[in-house]
Amino acid sequence: MSDATGGDETGVENWRVSPDTNGRSAYVESQIIMTTVQVVTPFSLTYGLFLMFHGADSPGGSFQGGAVMAATVLMIAFAFGVAPTRDWLRNRTVVALAAGGVAAFAAVGLVPVLFGDSFLAHPRFESVFGIDTKWGLEAIEVAGVAPIVAGVLVGLFFLIAAGMNPDDQTPEARTDGGGHDPERADEGTDTETVSGGDRP
Amino acid sequence: MSELFAAALFVFVLVTAVTTALLRDVLAVVVVFAAYSLGMALFYAFLLAPDVAMTEAAIGAGVTTLLLLLTLTKTNRTRPDRWIEGVDLPALAVFAALLIVLVVTLLNSIPAVGDPGAAWNNPGVTQYYIENAYDDTGVENAVTAVLAGYRGFDTFGEAVVVFAAGISSLIVLRQVVFTRE
Repeated sequence: MSDATGGDETGVENWRVSPDTNGRSAYVESQIIMTTVQVVTPFSLTYGLFLMFHGADSPGGSFQGGAVMAATVLMIAFAFGVAPTRDWLRNRTVVALAAGGVAAFAAVGLVPVLFGDSFLAHPRFESVFGIDTKWGLEAIEVAGVAPIVAGVLVGLFFLIAAGMNPDDQTPEARTDGGGHDPERADEGTDTETVSGGDRP
Repeated sequence: MSELFAAALFVFVLVTAVTTALLRDVLAVVVVFAAYSLGMALFYAFLLAPDVAMTEAAIGAGVTTLLLLLTLTKTNRTRPDRWIEGVDLPALAVFAALLIVLVVTLLNSIPAVGDPGAAWNNPGVTQYYIENAYDDTGVENAVTAVLAGYRGFDTFGEAVVVFAAGISSLIVLRQVVFTRE
């Protein structure tokens, strides 16, 4: 975290921490952070999935699960650099998650309307299809709320993190279509991204 | 023992809240505010509201702090001339007097934690959820039953608000943010 805020280890003179003013990126590659995140990530992602799928029967739920899963992506981005993570998880994916969540929520809610009941009247699933009422609730939790929360949080993070590397600020400067993955950060993220951006 | 824990937690939350208001350096404020959120998350867990505690820990202490720190790295942090915000003593005296009056007059009417006869406990609604949530919906977590079942339409509205706010931010700032797509 102190990486992102610079100034302190370089002295008070370097008070302006904006990467474009002191010419160095806010991302600092750290073996300790990368190793820690590699160990923690499977557990936190599993915990997010558990909260989402098991929210009906234990504390938690899709909102919390979606937030924990989004936080996992944020951790990966902090350890391996924002740019490679954003290349790996594209804006299209993030927006599709959020929009698909709203669509799925509305679709599940509209099914009872087709059979003459009110919006989100889950018991109708039981009387028409023989599906337990429980699965109607699970459907809007798992397919609706969790993707919306995760998509919006990750989208906001990418939005605010854009321009962390000075070269990120002009989208047209980064025109290569290669699918990066976070592991590439091991070879030095910043130089990777910059040279990748210069490639025609 | 649990009273001692609650008292310590209360002091921690109070100190971090006042510190957040008084500190002038923005980075320090963000860090102390994250500690405040963590204290509040523990408080919610202590008050037997684990769902709220998880949300506070993930969103309040985690994601919000990260977003604020990221925003700070992209702005110029001005060097504060002093560490602590100046306090207007007459205003503080008026506020303290008001607070004391409020606490003295209202403290007795705040229900004890878990008091079944408390004023918020609307038996017509609350008791119905407690008694019928499992039979009606088949989920064991009554909070989920209310959020996704009984009050599903409200949750749909909330979800759409979150979606609309996120997408609006993406659209407004898309020149800066959108990678090639």
